[in-house]
Amino acid sequence: MTTRASLGVVSFSRADVVRFWRQAPASFRIGTAVLAFHIAVAITGPLWAPYGQADLFVGPALAAPGWSHPFGTDVLGRDVFSRVVHGAHLVIVLSVLGTLIGVVVGTTIGLLSAYLRGWFDTLVMRLIETLISIPYLVLALLAVAAAGPEYAGDPVLLVLVVGFVFSPRVARMARAAGLDVVTRDFVTIARLRGESPWSVVVRELLPNATGTLLVEFALRTGYAPVLIGTLGFLGFGLRPPSPEWGLMISEYRNLLLASPFVVLMPGLMLASLIIGLNMWTEGLARILGRSVRYDE
Amino acid sequence: MKLASLLLTRIALAAVTLLLVSVFTFAAVEIIPGDMATRYLGQEATPQAVAVLKKRMGLDRPAPDRYLEWIRGFVVGDFGVSLASERPVSEVLGPKIRNTAILAVSAFILYLPLTLIPAAFAAVNRDRAADHLLTSLNLLAVSIPPFLLATLLLVVFVVVLPWFPAISAVTEETSSWDLVQLLVLPTATLAISMAAYTMRMLRDNLIEILDADFVRMAELKGMSRQRVLWRHALPNALGPSLNITALNVAFLVSGVVVVEKVFAYPGFGRQMVDALLIEDQPVVQATVLLASGVYIAANLLADLGQILLNPRLREG
Repeated sequence: MTTRASLGVVSFSRADVVRFWRQAPASFRIGTAVLAFHIAVAITGPLWAPYGQADLFVGPALAAPGWSHPFGTDVLGRDVFSRVVHGAHLVIVLSVLGTLIGVVVGTTIGLLSAYLRGWFDTLVMRLIETLISIPYLVLALLAVAAAGPEYAGDPVLLVLVVGFVFSPRVARMARAAGLDVVTRDFVTIARLRGESPWSVVVRELLPNATGTLLVEFALRTGYAPVLIGTLGFLGFGLRPPSPEWGLMISEYRNLLLASPFVVLMPGLMLASLIIGLNMWTEGLARILGRSVRYDE
Repeated sequence: MKLASLLLTRIALAAVTLLLVSVFTFAAVEIIPGDMATRYLGQEATPQAVAVLKKRMGLDRPAPDRYLEWIRGFVVGDFGVSLASERPVSEVLGPKIRNTAILAVSAFILYLPLTLIPAAFAAVNRDRAADHLLTSLNLLAVSIPPFLLATLLLVVFVVVLPWFPAISAVTEETSSWDLVQLLVLPTATLAISMAAYTMRMLRDNLIEILDADFVRMAELKGMSRQRVLWRHALPNALGPSLNITALNVAFLVSGVVVVEKVFAYPGFGRQMVDALLIEDQPVVQATVLLASGVYIAANLLADLGQILLNPRLREG
């Protein structure tokens, strides 16, 4: 007896999953393993981390790594291992939410623009071009500053800023993907049937752009921790005592001489998360690219 | 004449984009909560004092008027007066731009061999151990954010092996040897980060071209591998890298912000961050518009270069 799982119209058996996994590129498998580790830490971490993310003086200040404090402690006697673990879900949730906003907004604008053309398209393209012409970090810094000191350090602001910086770039991709399909017969037929632009975009253009957008989403999810970390590092992201890794690296930079470990550990986690996401994305692109070639 | 009109269209579009960026930047700075006069005088200032300062700064006039005045000044190099230092913005930014230009140019010089040599080596040895090693190293380099790379270089070369100074304080008295020492780590950070992005693409392009008929032909003629690679394959693989180079300029603009902060290098990027932190609006506006201008110009040049390199467009 085979177990069959169902995802809407797509159903697959366990054997299908095993075959898919065996045939998947190595980068996809390594990426998945690294991401699984990070997601496991993010979900279960708060349960088994020895201390809270901001518990002060749980040990002597600046203790060297040892049994009671695997990564040592910082100036305030906080356990660095616990803080790094608590940072995992923070970084992942903020990155995914921010990217999701960027991809949803960008896709909507891009596909609508591709379908409607005319003055709407011209206007949107100019706007996109303008926003892309401001280097992304500068745009993000400007957006945080424009939000004002009241919202500084607010995670919601950070998520919105990531979405804001990503959306014009996603919109350009989505528009290009939409333009590829918009002249096909099935789109014309849908239009002649009298479907509304929104319906055509959602039911005809979107399914055909899914592959491109999936890769774009994965790629951007890899950029998001860098952007969030960089903003935290520069003092424009989350505020202390948040255990966001970029912020931790910035806070502990001065301790490099005393104990390099407190900087290396959050750095290692951040880098491994990005490596995992990059490899996963590369594998995903190859899988989707391969299937596209089969279609031809 | 098709070519001329194509080039002119591109230039005009870039100018329009720059203009829109200036409107956007002005508007973004405008909506930063609180007004400049109040912030400048502090919370305890009397309303009369604020009103007088507002009038002096021209803040009592409508925003469109102030925008036009700002942009008119920008064209002739008058960027207004910095609130923090009360000196003209151009005077504040001048030396910072020079420092950043030195950093950016040296990063670009280091970036070229750092991209070309590993890419060529990996392409020639494709799917062998050397290629896998270089590709893995490349993946690692792509995955380390510049602020982390800079911090790691700081750990290794300043803390563990005290070879370089941690702080890059450039003054008028800095000798050229000291300057070289100060520049090494910031330059290396920027160059490695840029090269990581380009190397993989150049390798893939090279592999594609090494398979092309004209390269096979050159090999069959008995031309040496080295000559085939550097004279035939590489020039053809460089074309698509033009856009990446424009992207790298964009990266440099973001990269200097981070690197200058880590190494305390007194440049343009650090000035921008400082101005944003203390909300020195004239400096913020000038730095954002200048940074975007550099990026737009780089993109325009890459576009024009590609048009000029394409024989079909050139003859048309």
